[in-house]
Amino acid sequence: MCSANSSVLKNRIYVYLGYYADRRRDISDELIDDVLGEVEKLSRFVYRYEYFDSPPDFLSKEPYTSYFRDSRGVIVSATTLGLDIDRRIKLLSKTDPARSVVFDACASAYLEERADRFEVSIPYPLAPRFCPGYGGSDVSDIRHIFDILKPEKFGMTLGENFYMIPSKSMAGVLAVGGTAKRQCGNCALKSDCRYLKEGEKCFSEKT
Amino acid sequence: MLFGKNVKLFDGGFGTELERLGLGGIPEDLNITHADEIRAIHLSYASADFITTNTFGLNRIKYRGKYGIDKLANAAIENARVTGAAVFFDVGPTGMMLAPTGTLSFDEAYEAYAEIAKTTRGKVDGYIAETFSDIYELKACVLALKENSDAPVFATMTFGADARTLTGSTPEIAAAVLEGLGTDALGVNCSLGPKELLPIVERLLASTSLPVIVQPNRGIPVLENGRSHYTLSADEFALYAEKFADMGAEIIGGCCGTTPEFIDRIAFLKKRAVPKREVEKKTVVTSCTKAVTIDGVKICGERLNPTGKPKLKQALKDGDYDYLADEAIAQAEAGADILDLNVGVPGIDETRAMLDCVEKVQEYVELPIQIDSSNPAAIERAARYYNGIPLINSVNGDDAVLEAVLPTVKKYGAVVLGLCMDSRGVPKTAEERFAIAEKIVRRAEEFGIPRYKVMIDTLVLTASAEQSLVKETVRALEKVKALGVKTALGVSNVSFGLPARGLLNKTFLAMALERGLDMPILNPLDGEMTGVVKAFGVLSGADKSSEEFIKLYRDYSPATQVRTARTLETEKTATSLYECIIKGLKTKARELCEYELLSRPPMEIVDGVLLPALDEVGRLYEAGRLFLPQLVSAAEAAKESFSAVSEKLPKGGSGKGKVVLATVKGDVHDIGKNIVKVVLESYGYDTVDLGKDTPPEKVVEAAKRHRPVAVGLSALMTTTVKGMEETIRALKETDCLCPVFVGGAVLNKETAKAIGADYYTKDALEFVKVLEKAKRK
Repeated sequence: MCSANSSVLKNRIYVYLGYYADRRRDISDELIDDVLGEVEKLSRFVYRYEYFDSPPDFLSKEPYTSYFRDSRGVIVSATTLGLDIDRRIKLLSKTDPARSVVFDACASAYLEERADRFEVSIPYPLAPRFCPGYGGSDVSDIRHIFDILKPEKFGMTLGENFYMIPSKSMAGVLAVGGTAKRQCGNCALKSDCRYLKEGEKCFSEKT
Repeated sequence: MLFGKNVKLFDGGFGTELERLGLGGIPEDLNITHADEIRAIHLSYASADFITTNTFGLNRIKYRGKYGIDKLANAAIENARVTGAAVFFDVGPTGMMLAPTGTLSFDEAYEAYAEIAKTTRGKVDGYIAETFSDIYELKACVLALKENSDAPVFATMTFGADARTLTGSTPEIAAAVLEGLGTDALGVNCSLGPKELLPIVERLLASTSLPVIVQPNRGIPVLENGRSHYTLSADEFALYAEKFADMGAEIIGGCCGTTPEFIDRIAFLKKRAVPKREVEKKTVVTSCTKAVTIDGVKICGERLNPTGKPKLKQALKDGDYDYLADEAIAQAEAGADILDLNVGVPGIDETRAMLDCVEKVQEYVELPIQIDSSNPAAIERAARYYNGIPLINSVNGDDAVLEAVLPTVKKYGAVVLGLCMDSRGVPKTAEERFAIAEKIVRRAEEFGIPRYKVMIDTLVLTASAEQSLVKETVRALEKVKALGVKTALGVSNVSFGLPARGLLNKTFLAMALERGLDMPILNPLDGEMTGVVKAFGVLSGADKSSEEFIKLYRDYSPATQVRTARTLETEKTATSLYECIIKGLKTKARELCEYELLSRPPMEIVDGVLLPALDEVGRLYEAGRLFLPQLVSAAEAAKESFSAVSEKLPKGGSGKGKVVLATVKGDVHDIGKNIVKVVLESYGYDTVDLGKDTPPEKVVEAAKRHRPVAVGLSALMTTTVKGMEETIRALKETDCLCPVFVGGAVLNKETAKAIGADYYTKDALEFVKVLEKAKRK
């Protein structure tokens, strides 16, 4: 049984599997629990961050300037679940593709939940994470985060097109203080968003 | 002289000193822009015997500054030379993951490091490749340095607190691989403080007789107000350094957070003699994540050998390496410890096939591989690109074979299997076979291959044709054990041509185990054969308290035991094949389909049950009443059914055609593509899955070769849509007439049209629908 907050996790997992809004859910909680247990066992969670009084140069542009508008500091962070998760997804894609789909969703949700939990322990009031690629920002800004934190020393690498390996990794920034909130904004998927069509948001608690 | 009787010291952290001096930017550039400061830092490490150049990130893949590699390398060496100490060129990782996990090829990594070696050849006293967390990348680096310079090469890896690297290698694997490659010293640096490194250092010291290097961080950093601070004092650091020296570490230094004060503080260790170490030499083969020590019986799976296996033979001819991966996974799950891999099929490029198959198998299975070939070129290439320490099958008593293969074994640190035969054939007596074994061991030692890296196969002949020689094989087995080598046998050869083969094989296996067989080569899916091995463990006392045997056989019954994994199938029921597909009951679907095939023509089942069921699945999915996992389960159930049907169809199958699928160059996300593959196969299509990060030319080659009915390209990132466009352009420039489908989260109809695709489909079901429609046109 996974030790993470199950209800928060499961909501996220169902979202990733496309069970949005209040649609009937045919996947048993038991299966999710089983897969989450496996995810937790295989995870080698690492979170690294660094604090800056003022935003590093690469953040001196939109949409970051709006995000940091009234903050008093910046956290630059990188986090990963490690490579064993990727290996398991790979193997399941051959031996049990349906489980691989569930596993992939569980691992994504688990990473976010672990990151959220870790960030609670950071002794600053933090706005929601903002990762390069969100809201019209340039995904190549991940390179700057890697230059600052050097996460390759603890197991994260960056491909030539700015994808991270292990795949269940995140690199982003968090405003310290300020009023930044999660919003649909300039999300690249806004025009086809199933949640918005239903009058929901992918990050609302209801989903 | 690099090594003496006493402990030697490396310098300490460089980044900490740069930070103290307020020097930012690309550290390597400072060799030119702030040469005086860099020299001052080097000079401040006056207690160090080895000075590392300020070149950690200097390779063509990582470095993004404005200077040339050559210019910076020379400047860095010149700066370090002011100390008068031995100068070691610091070589760090590329920062990218090697294929197949990532996209950087082994050769690209090799070339980057070869450039460093060529640029610095003759100018440094040695190289230190450090802070590597991927043993495969480190292999490329060590080979590049060794093959392009004459200076000593030291290599250290960085481990997590669980004593594994990022890619899952243990200290034992690191030691085996690095020692096998001929590094001059190996060890650990960074990530952890000295206290956390103690158990890792202990394991390294127990695994290698080479000098061991330890360069810890200054403890684990403590976060204060969001900033990392190291709090370990120089005195505390020195206490641990002394412990390392007492344990047997020969070279000690410091990494992140350590300063000249720390190295000065441990200078007293230079008067300390390095204690002698006795390291037990073992026969070890490894993958990147698993080391298998041949101490006790280890099973080598024989199923990846095309002899007598028409399906495997055809798969090799077709380049269907997914089939091999499936066989490899099945053997691993059945309990094999090592996998034999033989791709010798007439008419194929064996070297190319061996390389592709090694990569494919290592992608899915963590077991070490026995490279089984009589082609020295194929053996050499496979051993070079193998991730870990392979077992090479084989050499024999023939001088030409020994000359051709043993250099490869030595160069890549492999273990070699020697067959007790030569150009005259297999000798009749145990004594003659022993003589050949002796020759093989002696010749191996002449090549610098110690006997713990040699295994001997005394060769099994068939009882039907050479009955009197069966006992010579086991007599020879007992004799060669006196040479201090491990033994192997291809057990099932004994029964060829006789009835009740299983009975003969089991009995022979028991005979051989009793006489000293270490590695039976057999079918691990044969529970009776693996059962003999497990039972032998009990009867020989190897399985203490019969623990393993009881765990495996506690609920034993003669009927086949099928372990039910918790899946979407659990607790669902269905009474018809149609229902089984809707509910995704794969196993039951197959059973019911086979039952139906007893009384109905195959195509009637396809048209009357399978396709309508899939149509209903599609309808339910689009209505939001079925979701992705159920869709995939249903597709799997249909695919199993199609597989049963196609066995009854005439050659040519359902004739639906092939679809080539690929995630394009620069993208490694493939879960969507994999779902498309499963759904297409459920509809009776054959798929050719080119995997991820697929260059355009590979897609073009596959299209030419397989003449598919469609090509499907996937990309998940905006940055890789360009790769998709290039691939489409390359396809259109050939005579590929089939439509190109694209999909992925960042695409839509407009983007697809703009990049030249014929169709955009949002999911797997739509792909099939549109394809079926396109085919009817």
